[in-house]
Amino acid sequence: MYSEELSGQIAAPRPAPKARTIAATVANFIVPGLGHVLLGRVIRGAIIGGVIIVMFALGFVMEGHLYRPDPNEWLTWFFSFLNAGMGLPYLICALADWGVQITPEQAAKVTFEYGNTFLCVAGALNMLAAMDAYDIGVGRKS
Amino acid sequence: MTHFTAMVLFSLLVSVAFAALSSEHHTAPERVKYGAKVFGYFVGVGFLIACALYFLPI
Repeated sequence: MYSEELSGQIAAPRPAPKARTIAATVANFIVPGLGHVLLGRVIRGAIIGGVIIVMFALGFVMEGHLYRPDPNEWLTWFFSFLNAGMGLPYLICALADWGVQITPEQAAKVTFEYGNTFLCVAGALNMLAAMDAYDIGVGRKS
Repeated sequence: MTHFTAMVLFSLLVSVAFAALSSEHHTAPERVKYGAKVFGYFVGVGFLIACALYFLPI
């Protein structure tokens, strides 16, 4: 009987249909981790999605804020790009003006910069998760 | 929340995500081991930097 354990090798991953791969990649930008769930990696999707959502929520708990690109400040473009990695949650927040404006009391908090970092890294991790879902879909990863 | 709590929380969340996204670790024990290693590096290096900054006159 052939098994991965006996042979000591890992079976080559099988690619998913193209439409499903694209859907999974896009789904990750709607709900973090959903792409992996669509590709049958439910536990991995739940872990990745959970971590990213918790990180995004903690960013706001720590009084962080989301960035919007400002033509006069080039760094805001970089941070906005990272924030936008969250996909739909960022779009909703940016359009509804939730967590974008900063008050002087908020900026004075000890955890303010930590909050910003959590929000940026949550977006960056979500981009990584979307690329991971794409790699699984095309059969590059298992 | 203290600086240390925030750093540990950040390290924990990022190391879990890295372990789940790793392409070089395929089994669950391998991923757990890798995640623990990344977490240790994050906290350890953060602690070393904090110690170095403590002695700087800034």
